[in-house]
Amino acid sequence: MSLVVDSITKRFGPVVALDGVSFSVEPGRIFGLLGANGAGKTTCMRIVLDILRPDSGSVSWQGRANTALPRNTWGYLPEERGLYLRMKVIDVLCFFASLYGVPVRDATRDVEDWLDRFRIPEYRDRKVEELSKGNQQKIQFIAAILHDPAVLIMDEPFIGLDPVNVQLLKEAFFEMRSRGKTLVFSTHQMETVEELCESIAIIDRGRVVVAGSVREVKHAMGRQVVRLATEGDGNGLAWLDRMDGVTITSHRQDFVELQVPAGTDPEMILHAAMDHGERVTRFEIADPSLEEVFIEHVGRPAAVEAERHLAERPDR
Amino acid sequence: MRRLFPNAWHVARREYLMRVRSRTFAIVTALLAVIGLAIPLLPIGFQLIAGDRATTIGLYAGDASLESSAATSLEAILNAGASGGGSQTSRYVIRAVQVPEDARADVRAGKLDGLLSISRGDGQELSFDLYTDQRASNQAVVAIRQAATQVSIADRLSRAGIDPGEASQIFAPTTFGITPVDPNARHPEESFGPSYLLAMALVILTFMAVITYGQWVAISVAEEKSSRVMELLITAATPRQLLAGKVLGNGAAGLTQYAAVVAAALVGVLAQGVVAERLLGTGGGASLAGVNLWVFAPFGVFFVGGFLLYATLYAAFGSVAARQEDVPQVTGPMILVGMAGYFAAFIGLTVPDAGWVRALSLIPFFSPSMLPMRMLLSQVAPWEWGLAAALMVIFLAGALWVAARIYSAGVLLYGQRASLRAVLRAVRVDR
Repeated sequence: MSLVVDSITKRFGPVVALDGVSFSVEPGRIFGLLGANGAGKTTCMRIVLDILRPDSGSVSWQGRANTALPRNTWGYLPEERGLYLRMKVIDVLCFFASLYGVPVRDATRDVEDWLDRFRIPEYRDRKVEELSKGNQQKIQFIAAILHDPAVLIMDEPFIGLDPVNVQLLKEAFFEMRSRGKTLVFSTHQMETVEELCESIAIIDRGRVVVAGSVREVKHAMGRQVVRLATEGDGNGLAWLDRMDGVTITSHRQDFVELQVPAGTDPEMILHAAMDHGERVTRFEIADPSLEEVFIEHVGRPAAVEAERHLAERPDR
Repeated sequence: MRRLFPNAWHVARREYLMRVRSRTFAIVTALLAVIGLAIPLLPIGFQLIAGDRATTIGLYAGDASLESSAATSLEAILNAGASGGGSQTSRYVIRAVQVPEDARADVRAGKLDGLLSISRGDGQELSFDLYTDQRASNQAVVAIRQAATQVSIADRLSRAGIDPGEASQIFAPTTFGITPVDPNARHPEESFGPSYLLAMALVILTFMAVITYGQWVAISVAEEKSSRVMELLITAATPRQLLAGKVLGNGAAGLTQYAAVVAAALVGVLAQGVVAERLLGTGGGASLAGVNLWVFAPFGVFFVGGFLLYATLYAAFGSVAARQEDVPQVTGPMILVGMAGYFAAFIGLTVPDAGWVRALSLIPFFSPSMLPMRMLLSQVAPWEWGLAAALMVIFLAGALWVAARIYSAGVLLYGQRASLRAVLRAVRVDR
């Protein structure tokens, strides 16, 4: 039984933050919640966690309403990181674990295990304020999972991390999935989503514009991408323009990217190239990238949003 | 509804340890303990300083026999009056002087407190003149004037042929009793002083506790909001658990500080006798004799109730503040209520039986200081205790309900102007 978000609506005064948002997440999967800043991702997560109540709609996990579920069902990594800065790492983590009923001894063992995994065992007895932002974020992640929650909800978990730490966190994601956990996270870094997520929902202005498995979402775009490279300088590809429905989306240094409408067999491009006497060095049929899916549905690239998002958070 | 414990305990424990382990707490507690120790010993210190200094009056009569007899009786009368008149042990020394001009110079130089000149006029009547820089209403001047009058009367009696033995009978103190209107009133004159002081101390202690420790709660809530720990906390625990934990943890820390101060003050009170003996050579100091010490039982109960009431509301107000800097502004109404109670109790000290004092003393925001105050200085009827306790319980329940609502809404209110309107909106909005 999955995590089901069923047509939730939430208003803050005159602002409609969420407008009939629905999606579902299969257990044991990694799910990406994509959307621009202010699209409603955080509100959505807070409603799932039952720290906000929706005006209408419901959330259930394994058939039980979230309002009736024990709190230790969820692990939460909020977007705004916050820890008790003046406490020792081990004390902060054991405190949060104790709120979920985890005995101190078990919590201590798990904390040490995770600090090793994140390669920061020496920070165990340091005060949180002495840690870098990236390391604080890792502590925050540990705080979210110490009580062994069935579902992990993470709001922009990769923001502010350097590549090494991004990799460590991704490994932690896979570790959690291998333990049978369900992971939901929001982001606007499309490469991360491509790498981690089995399914996604894209939210724009409080509505789900598209949801489903990554494969379905890409197929639903109704087109495929062909990457073609030939010997020669590539200027001799004028014949491509004359083909029905085919559009060149970009000229790269060593290949050309084309879009092919759904009804067309991409292989006809390969045949056409050979007919024109080209020597084909690369021919690749691919689904459109999530970036393209996002632009298609939201009308602007996610990266621009990401920059704006960072600019609005000068504290990071 | 989720159980309050053990999560409230976890929150309270963290809150308590963080508070008690902080350097500020240690410094402030030590400072307050020193003050607590010093206050009971202060009167002894005053006596020590004042005791050294006798009032020295020069006496000039021109006539040697008049001078010596006047000096003897003046000294006897002045010092007798002083030792019988209360705790002040001011001493008077009368010194005969030969040259009035030199003595006047001594008075101007501060070596003498005054020069009393006696002369016998035409009708053999004595007349007195006091050369001093003190005003006529000064305590010493008044005493000297009374003593002079007695010397003058004794002089008239001896001139009328009444011998000194009979004269001393004439001056013997009379029998003077006091019959109280209400013989059961627990306030014989001599215990009013310590009772009054204790009542005042309780009023001040209550006010400080409510304002200081209430503020602790509000700041600690706002701190969690501004450091964004709050979002993790409300995922892990319910607003009621957090609220209860905050209030209990800070309350326990406050009680710890209070216990240290009260213990120091008790040591000071117990040491009064020993210290007085060592320094003054006499027993002394303010004693608690005649004070109704049973007052500490209801005071303890109402103090805890009052603290819980204030702290709960402080937590709610604190949750509306977006940043720590907003806390004083947001908690303004609470401080006003606390101040009102403080001033009402202070004015009430002088009129403990006034109708408005009796009425206010039943209201939960004021009862913790005003009921014990009335108990010490007057009487509190059993039904008043009952009504005040019932009101306290009702108010506490109401405050918890309202505070939990404000808190659960307030903790997620970021970036909004902290105002009373925001609070009211927070109460209306469901979560």
